[in-house]
Amino acid sequence: MRIVVVDPDACVACRDCEYACAFQQSGDFARRDSCIRVNFYAAERACVPLTCLHCAEAWCLEVCPAAAIGRDPGTGAVTIDTRRCAGCKMCLLACPYGNIHFDEQAGVSRKCDLCGGDPACVRFCTSGALVFMEADEAAERRRATLDARLRRALRLDKDEE
Amino acid sequence: MPEREIQRTLCRMCDDRCGIEVHLEDGRIVDITGNKEHLWNRGRLCVKARAAVDMVYHPERILAPLKRTADGWQQISLAQALDEIAARLAEVRERHGARSISVWKGEAIGFGQQENIARRFVHAIGSPNYLSNDSMCYAARYFGFKLVDGAWPVPDLANSRCIVLWGANPPYAHPNMTQYITEARRAGATLVVVDPRLSAIARRADLHARCLPGTDAALAWGIIHELIELDAVDHSFVERFAVGYAQVAEYARSFTPQRAEAETGVPAATVREIARAMANAAPRVGTYVGNGLEHHENGVNSIRAVAIMDGLLGTIDQTGGACFKCPPPLQDLTLYDELPLTELGPLGAARFPVLYELRQECHTMTAIDAILEDKPYPLRAMIVTGANPALTNPNTAKVRRALEALDLLVVRDLFMSETAALADYVLPAASFLERTELHAHAKHEILSLTRRVVSWPDVQGEYDFWRDLGRRLGAGEYFPWPDESALNRWLLDGSGLTLEELEAHPEGVPYGHACAVDWRTDGFSTPSGKLELASAYLKGLGYDELPVYRRPAYREAADPAYPFVLVTGARKLLYLHSRFRNIARFRTAIPGPEVEMHPDDAAELGVRDGDVVTVTSPVGSVDIPVAVVAPNEILPGSLQITHGWKEANVNLITHDDRFDPVSGFPLMKSLAVRVERRARDVDLADDASPA
Amino acid sequence: MHLAIIGNSAAALSALEAFRARDCASRVTLVSSEPGPAYSRVLLPYFLRGRVARDDLFIRLSRYYESLDARTLFGTRVEAVDVRRRRLELSGGDGLDFDRLLVATGSSPSKPPIPGLEGPRVHHLWTLEDALRLDELLLPGARALVLGAGFVALQAAWAARRRGLEVTVIELAEHVLPRVLDEPAARLLEREMVAHGLTVHTATRTEAVEHGRDGALRVVAAGLDLLDVDVIIVGTGIRPNAGLLPQAVEAGAPGIPVDETMSTVIEGVYAAGDVARGPVCAGGPREIHALWPTAVEQGRVAGANLAGAGVAYAGSLSMNVTEMFGVTVASLGRIIEGSGDQVEERHDLPPVRYLKVVSREGVPVGAVALGAPDVALLLGRLRSLVRGRRPAPAMAALLEGSDLPRLLARGVPEAGYLWPARGPSREEKRCALSS
Repeated sequence: MRIVVVDPDACVACRDCEYACAFQQSGDFARRDSCIRVNFYAAERACVPLTCLHCAEAWCLEVCPAAAIGRDPGTGAVTIDTRRCAGCKMCLLACPYGNIHFDEQAGVSRKCDLCGGDPACVRFCTSGALVFMEADEAAERRRATLDARLRRALRLDKDEE
Repeated sequence: MPEREIQRTLCRMCDDRCGIEVHLEDGRIVDITGNKEHLWNRGRLCVKARAAVDMVYHPERILAPLKRTADGWQQISLAQALDEIAARLAEVRERHGARSISVWKGEAIGFGQQENIARRFVHAIGSPNYLSNDSMCYAARYFGFKLVDGAWPVPDLANSRCIVLWGANPPYAHPNMTQYITEARRAGATLVVVDPRLSAIARRADLHARCLPGTDAALAWGIIHELIELDAVDHSFVERFAVGYAQVAEYARSFTPQRAEAETGVPAATVREIARAMANAAPRVGTYVGNGLEHHENGVNSIRAVAIMDGLLGTIDQTGGACFKCPPPLQDLTLYDELPLTELGPLGAARFPVLYELRQECHTMTAIDAILEDKPYPLRAMIVTGANPALTNPNTAKVRRALEALDLLVVRDLFMSETAALADYVLPAASFLERTELHAHAKHEILSLTRRVVSWPDVQGEYDFWRDLGRRLGAGEYFPWPDESALNRWLLDGSGLTLEELEAHPEGVPYGHACAVDWRTDGFSTPSGKLELASAYLKGLGYDELPVYRRPAYREAADPAYPFVLVTGARKLLYLHSRFRNIARFRTAIPGPEVEMHPDDAAELGVRDGDVVTVTSPVGSVDIPVAVVAPNEILPGSLQITHGWKEANVNLITHDDRFDPVSGFPLMKSLAVRVERRARDVDLADDASPA
Repeated sequence: MHLAIIGNSAAALSALEAFRARDCASRVTLVSSEPGPAYSRVLLPYFLRGRVARDDLFIRLSRYYESLDARTLFGTRVEAVDVRRRRLELSGGDGLDFDRLLVATGSSPSKPPIPGLEGPRVHHLWTLEDALRLDELLLPGARALVLGAGFVALQAAWAARRRGLEVTVIELAEHVLPRVLDEPAARLLEREMVAHGLTVHTATRTEAVEHGRDGALRVVAAGLDLLDVDVIIVGTGIRPNAGLLPQAVEAGAPGIPVDETMSTVIEGVYAAGDVARGPVCAGGPREIHALWPTAVEQGRVAGANLAGAGVAYAGSLSMNVTEMFGVTVASLGRIIEGSGDQVEERHDLPPVRYLKVVSREGVPVGAVALGAPDVALLLGRLRSLVRGRRPAPAMAALLEGSDLPRLLARGVPEAGYLWPARGPSREEKRCALSS
C-alpha cells in the first residue's frame, strides 16, 4: 500500500502540510487539527514531519476497545470511525509515535486517513519532502537520500587534504 | 450534485504563477487545485492558491466605485467615476502640466504586459512618471546582473552541484524553486545559504553563512579571493569573454578570508568552504540572489560581486549554471520610442540615471518628496493600481502626508487598503481570476494565457481601465483594442503563436529561444560585448567601476543611540507584503507582527517573549511584540521585523533618505535602531493582539 | 487439529485472529458462557454515561466468526476440562474434544464479605447484563453508593454523577485508584471528584448494608453517619476465573501462570487475558494485568503460538487511560517507586497538571499523568522508551522536544522512525479478516 513517506532531509518546516491538512479537517489552519505534525528543533536545524505510518500491525487498531479503528479497503489506511469512537483515548496511549490526537470539541480521536488516497499534505509540500509511495519502496528511497547526503558530505571533505 | 466546470489558468497569489485548475459550480468558484500538466509547478500548490476563492468572494471586496465625500464614501457608477477622474486629471494637467500626473503600479498587478499598459497610459497622456514597486524590488538585481552579464540569467538549479542562495528564501518567496533545490540536493548538490537569519531554506543548508546585514559584498570578495587562490577561475573563458579581470584580481587580493570574517562575521573557514564547494562543482554552480541583497546602501555592488562569480567560474549557459533565457517575443506596448518624454524630467532620473536608463523606472521616494516639496516640480495627481505604499513604502508617515496632499489620488484595489483609505476615488480592481493576460515562465520559456473566470460589471481589468481613462483624456489612439483579448492578439502578432493555441494549451506553449544571441560569436548585451567584471559604463556615470565593498553605515559610523541593526521584510509563506491579512485562517496560523530577537539581547533588555517593545530609528518609532527566537536563528545585535502589518508597521521607521546610489533602493535591511522595553500592559493599536 | 477457545472477549478474539492469520486449515471452536455477540467491557461505563449506544457495545458481529471459519458455542458453560482425555465437559452434558486449548475465561468481580451486600439494587459493573440493570436503576436524583475506588468503580461513579445521581464513594485504601495512581495524583483526582459534587471517603471500612421494607438500602460504615442510598455499585476487585485448570495454578498466586509463549504448564494448553499471570515488560515476577491492551497482546501471542509460530511475549506493559471528573488519567508501567528508583515530577505545565516518570538505572519504567487529553499522547511516546528498556532521559524526552528525534531513533527497534517500523507487507494468503 502507499503511505506518506517523509524525507526530513528535504523538509524546511514551512508547515504547508499542516495547514493543508487542518484545512481539510476543519476549514481553518489551526495546527491542533492537523493529522501531520512538523516538529522543528532550531539547535539541530532538524525539521521532522510526523504522520501516521498506517502500520501493518497497527497497535491502535488492535487495542481499540470500541472496534472503532479499522482499515480502509481501498487505500489500506488505518482509519477511525468517529461514530463508534467513545473517546477513551486508548489509541493515543497506544501509538508509539503520537500520531493520533484528540478532538476535545467532538470528543473523539482523530488521525490521518490518507485523504481517501490523495493526501493533501503531499500535494502541498513545498520542498517535495513528502511523497505518497509504496511502503516497500520507501526503504529504497531512504538509501538513496542517505547516499546523496554522504556524497554531499564527502564532496565537502574531499579537499581538506 | 451540480455539474463542475474546470477552467485552467495561473495563480497570482504570489509571483510564482503556478498552473491551477479553477472549479466552478453554476458559475461560482468552489475550489482551486493544481494543474498537473503545467511545467512550472507540475500540479503542486501552496495553501494560498485555494484561498483565492475566499479572496475573490470576500465580504470586504470592493465591487463598485467609491467617491470620497464629506459624508463618507459614496458609491457611484463606473461611468461617473471615470468621467470625474478624467475631468480632474485634465484639470491638473491644465494647471500643472502633464508631468504632474503619475501612475504607480504595484506588485499585486503583475509584470510584463500589465505594467506595460500602465507605462503606455502615462506616456500617452504626456507624463514620463511611471512609478512602481520596482523602486524597491527586482531592479537592483536586474542591474547587478545586467551590468555584468548583459541580462539576468536564470540558474539551472535542478542540475546544479552547488547552489548558493544570497538573501533569498525560496520556500516562502518562490515556493516552486524549493522543489528544484530538493532535486539537486537529492543528486548530491551542496546548498550554501547566505543570510543573517536562519530562514526556512537555511534549515537545510550544508553551509549557512550568517553574514552581518549589508556586508554581503565583503563575503563575495572573500570567496572570489579564495576562488582565485584555488585556481578555480576559468581563465580561458575569462580571457575570451570578460573584461576587468586584472582589476578584480587586484582588488580581491586584500580580501583574505580573515578580512572577510572581520567584515561579515562569517568564519574564515566557512568562506573557504564555500569557495571550495563552488570550485568543486564548477561549472555547475547555481546562484540565486534575493531581495535580501537589494535594500542596502551598497546593494548593487554586492549583487554585482556575486554576479561576477558566474563569469569567473565559467558557468554561463552551462547545465546547472547561469542560463540566459528569452523573454516572450511579444510586441512592445510601451511608448518609449514614440513618446520618450525624457525632456520632461522623469522623477528620479537625474538622481538615479541607471534606474531610468536601464529600466525606465521613476523613483517612488523622489516622487513622494516632489508631492510635498514641489521639487524638482509639482506632482499633484496619482493613480495607484494594486499597490499599498501607505504601508509598504519606507517612511510611512511621510508617504501618508504626501498622498493626502495630492490634488487627486485614485486607487484601484480589491480591498480598502491603507492607501485606498486615503484616496479621492477607489475603483474596484479585477483579481487575477478576472483578467485574461499573457504570462511567460522564463525558466521554461513557455507562454501561458490566463482566463477571466468570473467577473462583475464594474470591476475592470487593467487594460479596460487604462483604455477608458485614456480615451477620456484624448489618448484614445493609443488604446485601439476593444478589450483584453484583442490586446493579447496584438501582443502575439508576429510571435508565431496564436491566441487560440494558447487557449487550447493552458499548460503553456513553448516560445523558443529565438531572442538568444549567441554570445560566443556575437558577444554579450553589454557596452563592450563582453562580461563586464568592471563596468566602464558605471564609471562614466561616477559610480564604482568595480563592485567594491563599502562598509554599511551602522558599522562604519556606529551611533551608540542606535545600537541594533534591523532587517525588515523577511517573507512569510501565507502573506505577500501587505496582502491577505483579511483571510481568517491565515490569521489563525500567523496572528500578528513581531520583532525577532536573539535570546541574549532579550535577556539584557529584560524582555520576554510577547512583551511589547518600542523600536526607534532616526525616521520614527514603532511598538511591536517580541518573539525571542533560538540563538542560531538570528545574530546577536540584530533584529527582524516582517512588513505589511498595519498593527505594527515597520515602515514607520525605515529610511527613505538613504539609498543605494545606482538603483536608488532605500535602506530597509540594515538600518540602525534602538529598542526600549514598554510597560507590560501596553496593547497595540487597533484590534491586534500581541503574538 | 482442533483448537478450542474458552472465552469471547479481548484475549479470545485477538487469539482467534492471530491463529487464523497463520492457520486456515485447523478447526476452531469458541465456547463462551455469555450469550454473545462479543461486547467491549471497556465501553460499559461509556454506555452508562450515554456516550455509546447499546448496539455499539458489540464489537464483533456473527459474520466475523464465519469469515474466520470459527464455530461458536455461545451461552454454553464449560464445567470442567479433562486434560488427560483432552475434552471439555460442557453444561447440558455434552463434551467437546480438542487438540489444543486456549483458556481466556477472564475474571469475575469479587464481593467483599459485607453482610447485606446483595439484592436487586446491588450490582457490579462488569458484564453487559450488569450495565443493562444499572441503566434502569441509575435515575436522576437517586442516591448511589460506589463501593471501591478502582478504575471501574470510579468510572461507574462518574457515570452515575453524569446521570444526575447523588454519589458517594467509599474506599478501603488510603486514596482512590490505589493500584493506578500514587498519592499526590490520587488527591488531585479526589479534589476534582469533590468539585463535581461527589462525596468521597477513603480509608473507610464498610461494615453492613441494611435493607428497608421499601427496598431502600442503609449503609453502615466505620466513622460515617448512616447513609441511605437507592443503588449500590460494587467495584472492589476482581478474581481470575482460573478454576478450570486446577493443575496449572500455583498455590498462593492467583491466576493461571504462563511462560513467554503464553503456554501453561500443561502441554498444548495456553492461557491469555485476565486469567493469565504472565511475563511483565520490566521483568521480575509474573503478574496479572487485567487490562484490555494486555489481553489483546497476550491473545495475539497465544494465537500465534497455537499455530506453531513460536513467538515470545515481550511482557505486559500496563497502560491505562480514562477520562473522568473532567480530567484524563493515564498511567503506564510501574508508577509506585521503589528504593533506588529515580523519580521526576512536574506539576507546572498546563494542561498537564500532574506528571511523574519513574526510572531505574536510567531506564524509564513507568509514568502517570493527569490533565488534558494530550497526557495520553505524552505517555504513548514514553511507551516505546519503556518497552525498549534503554536508558533515556525520560522527562526531557517527553517535554523538551529537542531530544525527541534522537530518542525515538533509539527507542524504536529499527532506527528510522520516519519509515515504517514494521512496514505494511504485500498481500499474504490470509483468510478474510474483517474487523
